[in-house]
Parts: sequence; C-alpha cells; structure tokens
Amino acid sequence: MSKPKVGIFGFTGCGGCQLEILNLENYILDLVGAIDIVHFTEAITEHSDNYDIALVEGAITTKHGVERIEKIGNIAKIIVAIGSCACNGGLNCLKDLYGLEKAKELVYGDKKDWIGSIEVKPVDAYVKVDYYARGCPANRFEIVDIIKALIVGKKPEIPNYPVCVECKRNGNTCVYELGMTCMGPVIRAGCNSRCPNSGAGCDGCRGPIDDPNINAEKDLLAEYGLTVEDIMQQFSLYNAYRGKGIKQKIM
Amino acid sequence: MLYKILKKENYTDFVEKLISEYEFIGPKKKDKVFHDFVPIKDLRELDTDYKKTTIAPAKKLLFPPTEELVEYEVGDVIKVKPLVESSEKILFGIDACDINGMNFMDWIFSTEFIDENYFAKRRKLIVIGKDREPSETCFALSMGAEYAKDGFDIFLTELEDRYFLRIATSKGNEITEKFARIQDATDSDFRDYDKFMDDYRSKFKLKINIDNFYDDFEFIYSNEKYWEEASKNCYSCGSCNLVCPTCFCFNVKDDMQLNLKVGNKMREWDSCMIPEYGLVAGGHNFRPTKENRLKQRYRCKLKTFVDKYGKYACVGCGRCIEACLAKINIVEDVNSVKKEVSA
Ligand code: SF4
Ligand code: SF4
Repeated sequence: MSKPKVGIFGFTGCGGCQLEILNLENYILDLVGAIDIVHFTEAITEHSDNYDIALVEGAITTKHGVERIEKIGNIAKIIVAIGSCACNGGLNCLKDLYGLEKAKELVYGDKKDWIGSIEVKPVDAYVKVDYYARGCPANRFEIVDIIKALIVGKKPEIPNYPVCVECKRNGNTCVYELGMTCMGPVIRAGCNSRCPNSGAGCDGCRGPIDDPNINAEKDLLAEYGLTVEDIMQQFSLYNAYRGKGIKQKIM
Repeated sequence: MLYKILKKENYTDFVEKLISEYEFIGPKKKDKVFHDFVPIKDLRELDTDYKKTTIAPAKKLLFPPTEELVEYEVGDVIKVKPLVESSEKILFGIDACDINGMNFMDWIFSTEFIDENYFAKRRKLIVIGKDREPSETCFALSMGAEYAKDGFDIFLTELEDRYFLRIATSKGNEITEKFARIQDATDSDFRDYDKFMDDYRSKFKLKINIDNFYDDFEFIYSNEKYWEEASKNCYSCGSCNLVCPTCFCFNVKDDMQLNLKVGNKMREWDSCMIPEYGLVAGGHNFRPTKENRLKQRYRCKLKTFVDKYGKYACVGCGRCIEACLAKINIVEDVNSVKKEVSA
C-alpha cells in the first residue's frame, strides 16, 4: 500500500482544528508514518500541489478563499472538511446575521471597502466534500479514524445519532435534570458528549443529525423558560448558516 | 434458601467488613439528582436509600457501555487474542427490580450462546440486594418484578429493628458466616417479613395494564395515527434503551491502529431507537421513521419476547420514563392502547 499524499489547509477560523492534529502527540509519528503530508498550513513551510486527500479547516469568507478552495477541489480526489467552520460555516456565520455591509462597517468603519469579506459559506458550498469531521474544535481522534478508514478503503463511521447516546454511555446526569438546557437531543454525537461530561449543555458545534426533531427541542427549551429569541440564539451559535450545502435548516 | 436475621446494631460492622475485604460497588450520591453504582471505599459514601433510579443500571458492570472484545495483529499469520476482563466484586444495594433486570441479562447472554465477556464478570459478581422505596416512575409490581426470587447471593430486607436476610448461594452463606453476626429467623421474623412485603407492594402506585396488551397490540399495530401521536416528540436519541436494564443490543466495531497492523474489535451499547439500527448494506433502512422505531421498541419488549420465550423484556424500573426528554411514557402508551381498544 503506498502512502496517500495529504494536504492540510486552513481557511477562516481560529486554526484550532489544525492544532488538534498537532495535539495528537503520541500518535503523530504513526500518523506521518501512515500518510505523506505535503502541505500543512499551520505546521510546515514546504508546499506541493500533488496530493490525493485534502483536509480543509475553516470557512470560506473571502474571494481569495473561493479561488483557493476551487483549486483544491480540482486537485484532491477526496476532501475532508474538518471542524465546525469548514463543515457548516460555524461561528463565522454570526457575522452575516447583521448583514454583510453592516458587519463590515461595524468592524472596519470607514475602511470597510478595503476589506474583501464576502458572505460566509462552508466548504461544501464550493466543492464536493466527501467526509465531515465536525466539532469546534474537531475531535482529533475522529480525524484519525477518517484517515484510517480512507487508507484501508472503508467508509468512515460518523455517528448520525444525538449526543444523548454518548451521554448515556458515559453515565452522565442529563443537564436538563440539573435545571440547565442542552442542544444534545438534536446535535450529532461524535464528541463523546464532551460538554455534558463536564456538566455544561451542548452548544451544537457538530451541527444537527440528519433528521433532527427541531419542534420537540423548541418545545423543550420553551418549557425551560427560553423565549423564541433565546432559542434562536442557542441554535445560531454554531448553526446560523442557511445557504447551499447544508442538509438541515435548523430553524 | 437460608433465612437469617441481622440486628441493626450489627449492620454497620458487616458492611464495613465487606468494604474493607472486597472490591465493593454500591450506590453513591452523584449530584443533586441521581445516584450511581460506583466503587465505595468508605461506608459514609454508601447511600442505599436513593429516591430516583440510578442512571445506568447495574448492567454496566457486566456489559459495559464500551468493551474491547478481541485484540488482533495482522502479519503473515493473523493473531487473535480474546480480551476477557473480570475480577471478584460485591455489588451492594441493588433492588429487586434491578436484580430481575440482571436475571434477564443473564438469560439473554446464555440463551443461544454463552457470552464469555459477560459471564466472566457475572460469575465473579457477588450480589447483595436490598429493598428501597419504589421511585415515582417504577411500575415493577405490574410487571411481577418487585420481588427477586433469585439472582442474588444475599438479599437484605429492612424490618423495624433488624434485617431479614435471604441467603441464596453458598457464597452468600460463606460471607454472612464470616462477616456478620447473624441468627436464624423465627416464625415472628417471617410474619414481620410477610407484613413488610405486603406494605412494600402497596407502595407501587404506578400501574401498567399489561394483561391484555399482547392481544390489544394487534389492534393498534397498523393504526398510523396512534404511532404518529405517540412518537411525535421523539428525538430518536436512544436514551430509553441505553438506560434500560434489559436492553442488550450492541454494535461491534473495528478499531485498527494507524500502523495498520494491530487493532481490536469492541462493542458498544446500541439502540433500536436510532435510525442506523435498521440500516442494512445497500442503504435500505427497514425502520426509517420514529413511528416504526417506537412501535418496534414496545413490540420487542412486551410482545416479541412473550412470543419467543414467554417473558417480557421489561421489569418496570421506569428508567426510560425518567430519561425521556420527549416525555414518551411506556405506561401511558400501553394504558392508552387499552382505551383505544375499548373505544
Ligand atoms: S445532557 Fe444533553 S446530550 Fe446529555 S442526555 Fe441530556 S440533553 Fe442529551
Ligand atoms: S422515546 Fe424518548 S428517550 Fe427514547 S429515543 Fe425517543 S426521545 Fe429518546
């Protein structure tokens, strides 16, 4: 088996998902043993345009970004979006809730025209994404699982069930029982119920499952005293993107 | 069965000895809501009077949420090594209903084949049961599971000034002989015990109309409106299965390391309420909707097992009712089938 050539690219985001790959620590040597990393925005200076798999972090928010992602789309045989920003636009999309012009003005004032910011979109709004390692940040072990599956030619197993499943396997007390609220019942697991494990409600960074029961979640949140606006805000934090590419509109 | 009496003043001494002699698992307050079965090192941590059902039933000790089954190494020859973990433990303070749940598991993991991973642990588990007040959602009485006939080594029932001990195994006998100051039960102890049990049974307020459900279910089976209404708010989150002491379904996964040489097969708790459960090769899902899945869950628990083996796959512990954020309630649903039929 020859080693697949992999490029790891960063777009608009905090860079934390690339850092998650570097944080693999004990596994990093095995990782570079299994794949040939030809580009890694955050970690290496060398660059080659010869790769089979592209791991893409970050949302597309500039014209230049559009050109870059389209080029990657032409080269890579497989694209894996990593992290919430790449998968569904993530936090960046909050900007567009203000309206693009308004947001630019708020941040850059009279210099706003110097800025090439465009409407935020996830990677799959421009190129076909084969697999998604969701989360903010992405779960580094899930990234490794996807890579392993690709090397052996299997379909990666990405959960399509709610966070509650992992919560129950972990024996957590549901945070609703503790009087708080949680997006877990409609959000895709795969984070090992990271937030509820530490007693916090899920904020939905992995985006919705394929068939979320949004009405039930709205009823539940309302029962816990949230107004429609609060509910919208909860849903919007990581899931404000409404455009092309996203499977579920969560509100 | 041996029947013995342990005076209350000797209870603490008995339990303390067990804690110091054995790996001891018992109910401990976890947070303001729940208790959990965890290792106990100090008697003060033990709290057997828990009001809400503990989150994960004791099945987690025998059939853990995730468990490695085999380890393998791929080379010229493929080496496979089974991973069977077990160590002697005492499980203390489990109630009768949960013991019946465990009995169901014992039976399911030995019916068509012996599940070594399960039984290696089960054989080494010393079970000391104890009654407790039924929780609000518990309907064990209607399921005939409020009393444990077997499945324990010792069962403690608290009478006014003493414990009535039922000792079911030689292990239980050995432990009480060695660590407890006990005496034989007399006629008056038996009378008090019977009275206690009558009282205890009267404390189960929640009742399920299970008697004719087997036949009535057919009536409701194709009633789409009924299932749509019943499952309307279902999240397909699987919580109801995962907290259930009789749900035994698991998914087996392969986890190969990055060197592509060594790996393991592991199993994890699965749930018939999540869509992937019914997904087969080729992409067909034979239970694609939440209506299908809820129907399947009730059918499996209250009908299929009766068909195949003459017993329910439900002990009425009420955990699924407690766990469901959508307020889907097996008791209400079964009782409403009754109403639909009589309407
Ligand atoms: S804490 Fe959240 S994810 Fe966990 S069971 Fe409750 S609702 Fe589900
Ligand atoms: S019935 Fe309740 S606990 Fe079960 S899958 Fe549906 S929402 Fe989750």
